[in-house]
This record gives sequence, C-alpha cells and structure tokens, in this order.
Amino acid sequence: MKLIRLAAKNLLRQKRRSILLGSAIAFGILFVTLINGFTGSFIINVGENFSNLLAGHIFIDGVEKSETGKELYIIRDDSALMDAVDASGIDYRFLTKRSEIRGSLLFEGNGINQSIVGADWSRESYFKERIILKEGSFDNMADPQALIISSKIADRLQVELGDRVIVKMQTYTGQQTAGDFTIAAISIDTGLFGSISCYANLDYVNELLNLAPDEYLTLGIYLPELVDTEPSTDSLIPELEKRISLFSRETAGDENPFMAILEQQEEEEWEGIRYRLSNINDILSEVEEIVRILNIASIVILLVLFAIIMVGITNTFRMVMFERIQEIGTMRAVGMQRSEVRQLFLLEALFLALFGLAAGYLLTAGAMGILSSIYWGVDTPLFMLLKNGYMTFTITAGQILLNIAIVTLLTLAAAFRPSDKAARLEPGVALATEK
Amino acid sequence: MAIVSLKNVKKTYPLGKTEVKAVRGVSFDIARGDFISIAGPSGSGKSTILNMIGCIDVPTEGTVELNGHLTSDLNDREITRLRHKFVGFIFQSFNLIPVLTVYENIEFPLLLGKNVPAPPERKEWVNYLMDEVGLKDWTKHRPNELSGGQRQRVAIARALVTKPELVLADEPTANLDSETSEAIIGLMKKVNQDMGTTFIFSTHDPTIVDLAEHIIRLRDGLIDSEYRRDTEGGR
Ligand SMILES: Nc1ncnc2c1ncn2[C@@H]1O[C@H](COP(=O)(O)OP(=O)(O)OP(=O)(O)O)[C@@H](O)[C@H]1O
Ligand SMILES: [Mg+2]
Repeated sequence: MKLIRLAAKNLLRQKRRSILLGSAIAFGILFVTLINGFTGSFIINVGENFSNLLAGHIFIDGVEKSETGKELYIIRDDSALMDAVDASGIDYRFLTKRSEIRGSLLFEGNGINQSIVGADWSRESYFKERIILKEGSFDNMADPQALIISSKIADRLQVELGDRVIVKMQTYTGQQTAGDFTIAAISIDTGLFGSISCYANLDYVNELLNLAPDEYLTLGIYLPELVDTEPSTDSLIPELEKRISLFSRETAGDENPFMAILEQQEEEEWEGIRYRLSNINDILSEVEEIVRILNIASIVILLVLFAIIMVGITNTFRMVMFERIQEIGTMRAVGMQRSEVRQLFLLEALFLALFGLAAGYLLTAGAMGILSSIYWGVDTPLFMLLKNGYMTFTITAGQILLNIAIVTLLTLAAAFRPSDKAARLEPGVALATEK
Repeated sequence: MAIVSLKNVKKTYPLGKTEVKAVRGVSFDIARGDFISIAGPSGSGKSTILNMIGCIDVPTEGTVELNGHLTSDLNDREITRLRHKFVGFIFQSFNLIPVLTVYENIEFPLLLGKNVPAPPERKEWVNYLMDEVGLKDWTKHRPNELSGGQRQRVAIARALVTKPELVLADEPTANLDSETSEAIIGLMKKVNQDMGTTFIFSTHDPTIVDLAEHIIRLRDGLIDSEYRRDTEGGR
C-alpha cells in the first residue's frame, strides 16, 4: 500500500519524462488497436457487402447431367428446396431466385465480357437500396428488356441512358444466342467488386437462357445476420439431404468446402440432378487469411515499437536510479528491504504502463470515433471494407487483454534490470554516492 | 550489557590500486541511554564507524555487536529488520523523501516491516512526535518548503518513529547555523532524557561536541581519547 502511493508519486515527479514515455506507449496502442479494430470489422463488412451484392448468405444451385454427359446448371423444380428450408426452421429475411447470363455486351464496336444477373424486381425490393443510381430510375425496370449497368461499364461501352446494347451468350444448354437490352439506369461504381454484375429482369434473362419462367439458376437465402450463416447451413443440410441429392461439404482439414464440392462434381461418377450448397464463408475464407496476416503484422509492429520504447524505459529507469540513489540508501537505512526497493521501481513502471495504456485506449476511442464518422463514399475501392461508406471497428476483449498483457510485461521487463540494480545497492554505498 | 560493542574494528576501502585504511582497529562499548559524540577532524573515520554501527556498512576486520547480536551472523534481510526495529538514522543532509509531506516522511518507517501499527495508533504517535519536534503546523508541507533546521527536526521525528533504542546521527548539524545546531542537539538530548534513547552523533564542531556526555575522539582511524563527563567530572 505504502509502496503503491510512493510509486505513483515518484512517477509524477518528472512529469515531462513520464508523459513522454506514456505517450510512446499510448501511440503504440493507438496504432495497433486501430489496425486490429479495422481488420476485425472488415471481415464482417466484406461479408455483409458480399451478401448484399450476391443477395444471400447461403446459395443453392442445381447441376443436371444431360444424356450426353454435359453438366447443365438449372433449378427446374424448387419445391423440395423450399420444403427443406421450411423444415429446417431457419430464420431468414428473404429468398432470392436468380439467373445469370455470362456473355459479351456489345455497343457500336465496343465490347466487354460481363455477367448479367436476372432478378425478380417485384420481390427483391430490398435490393434497390443496395444499388445507388447515378442516372435513370428503377421505374425504368418496367421495360422487360431493361438493364442496369455500372458507370464504369457505361464508360467502357460509351453508352447512355436509353441506348440499346446487344448481348452475345449461350443458353443453359450451350446454344449460341443473342439478345438486346435497353439501358435503364447507370449505377455508381462501388469499386473492387461492385462492377461484377449488371442487373436485368429475371423473366427476360430466363427467356434468353431458354429457361421456363419458373426455372432459375440460384436460390439465395438472405439471413438476418452474418453470424447466422454457419448455424443455418448446419440445420439446412440434413433437411436438404432427406429430399434431394446434395454434394457433400465435408472436407479433410481446413480446405474450403466449396472446393470439396467441385472435386466431387468433377471426379466422382454421378448422374441425374444434384445440388450444391455454398455459403458466404466459402468466399470469406480467403479474406480471413488476409485478416490473420494483418493481425499478425500488427502484433509484430507492436513488438518492434515496443523494443524501441523498452530501450527508452530502461534508460530512463537507469537514470532515475542514479538520481534517487541517496533516497534509495535512506529508505534502506530506515528499514526497507531489497525486495521492496525492487517492487517500488517495478510498481512505478507498472503505473507508467497503465497510464500509457489508459491514454492509448482513450486516444484510440477518440480516433475511432472520428474515423468512423467520416463518410468515405461508396465509389471508392475501399467500399467492400466499409459499411455503407463508413469505417467500422470491431475489437475483441481478448485482443485488448492480449495487448495490455504484452505492453505491461514488456514495460516491466524493461524496468526490471535497473530496478534490480537499485535493490542490490548497498545502503552505505548508496548514501555515500555524490551526485 | 552494552547496546553497542565494537571489538578491534578495521575498515579498508579499495582506492584504485591502493587502499585507504579508514578505521584501523577500534574497540569501545556504548551503554544504554548514553548520549555520545564521536568527534574528530575530517577523514578521521567518524562516518565509517557510524555506518558500521548502523549496519549499512560492514567491517573488514573485527566485530560489531548490536544489542547482543553479532552483526556478521545476520543476512541482509535480518540486518534490515534489525535496523528498522532498533536503529534510527539522522543524516547530515537530512535525506527526507521529497515527494512525501512532513507527516508522510515521519510516518514512512512505520509502514515498513511486518508489524505495521493500526492507522489511529499511527496517527496519534506521528502527531505526538510532530508536536515534540515543534512542527505540528507543518504536516502537509513538502520538505523543500522547510528550513534546514525544520528539516532536521522532521528527520529526528522520523528517526524516532519506530521507537528505536539507538539513534545514529552523522554530522546532524553540519548544514545548520550554530544557533539551530544547538537547538537540534538540545532536542536530541531532551529525547534522550525523556525516552531513554541512546544517541551517537558525530561532529567536528567543538561547541557541539561539548554538548555530549561521553566523547570519543578519533584521529586517523584510531581512538585518540575518550572522555566521560559524569565519571570524570566537569570540564
Ligand atoms: N566508500 C569509500 N571509498 C573509499 N574511501 C573512503 C570511502 N568512504 C570513506 N573513505 C575514506 O575513509 C576515510 C575516512 O572517511 P570517513 O568518511 O569515515 O571520515 P569522516 O571522519 O566522516 O570525515 P568527514 O568529517 O569529512 O565526514 C577518508 O580518508 C575517506 O576518504
Ligand atoms: Mg563523515
């Protein structure tokens, strides 16, 4: 108790020096926590942005082996899928039925390879909120042949609202065909992945693919939360397996489940109609790897930063020991044990660490508050990492505790040798030392 | 039994390739309740002897007994405990802890060791001592707000706070003017009489020496003369 008070008072003795060391610790913490916080949230943001873009967290598509052994992607009758979804009892926001064209868009000598997603706009009203239009309006989708393209594609094709573009493509069975669309709207380009798709009406896309009106390619299940993905996948699979033939997502080890599906599809003997279930985490596993690397990098930065700070702490404490050498001698003379001298110095170091940590986390909270209130826009390459154009930070208690432990231990380690030296001083020698 | 007993104590300090013989064979006993001055010119070994009695330095040869304990038999932990319980220190340059208030400086030794007295008891005793040394209005002040004489009074109170049987004071008045010096020695003497505490102080100031009842004069690390007022009459 007495040591605690004295250590605290000693720390305040050289305010500028303590503030300097404390600030160094604080900035270390600021830096690392910002990285941790951003990477922690960007996995979530990427997940959510992908789910929005792809209109679901869980996706089911059908593969059919034709008589000639060709694989056709199609869901002809989804009643068994719907039954399975109902029976599994999973909570979902909505289901999407989409078809997709992969082909080339052509306009006056300009061409571009592009996928065109056909959606049922009357059902997918929520999806309108995810696409920010620069020109045109969703009302134009009333035209069956309407097409929404991103501004980047519009630039490449040099098309304007109302222009007619041609698509060269294959039907679901692989026949060459062509169609034409009217540019109904141009959306803001949302960077990296935003330009993946153009959007059209499901009925017309089906018609071009040569599908019946109630046939489609992919069933998307949009869940309330990203974290529901795995539990919902787990409850859905057994119900699907009761009703249809599903490729297994079982993997040996860490492999991506979707890769396991592709392997079975290619290497195993099978016929008839089989289904593939994939989810957003199959896509995110690549992103998770990046996050892991970033987090390791941030720990390395913390350690390097602290190696430098530790040198400062060690030197400061060595100086402090010499400055207070008479005092150490006096305290020893009046009955303080060696171990208590060591404790006194280590406590001072502990307070320094705690002071730096507290300042660091306050600073971090402030910085996160400011950064997350800045609107970065939706047309930046960072869009996928942001949440509706805002930075978000997610940091786990575990990470904070780990960083606190690292900083505290390193500070104590840096102060240990000088503290120990102070403790080993002979009181007579200490008292006799001239400063 | 003598409270302090030195037998043929020698102390040599290494100094580069040679050595300094600071104390060259000193033996004496000090009785309980004594008020004794160790006098001598600069470099005669006064501080060295006081440090060995106070167990903050060890003799190169010979033995120091403190209250019947042979100090060479004790380890650092036990020595520290003995110092804490048994010895109080007063220093030439006061050696107060600058971040602590007057009250806290005096209280400090009480908080060390195993048997820390309860707060009310502690407070009463510290306040009593502050009153005794005439500083009861200075409780909350820091040492740097005090005069030299006042600081030494704080140091005296601190030296007494653990109720030691022995107080060692190495040139307690060297940094004080003569009037204050006499007052400080007077205060020490009063404590000696009231509480029976044994005082050993060193000085090279003749007027201060005269205030002691028992004087050991040193010269070049040896006892030059020993004088006892009560047995040998007045000066
Ligand atoms: N730590 C040390 N290392 C080397 N020599 C020392 C040390 N301490 C004391 N001495 C020497 O020992 C001798 C006695 O010193 P001491 O300090 O005991 O004398 P003193 O009587 O207290 O003198 P003063 O009146 O100046 O305080 C001196 O010659 C001094 O230089
Ligand atoms: Mg001396």
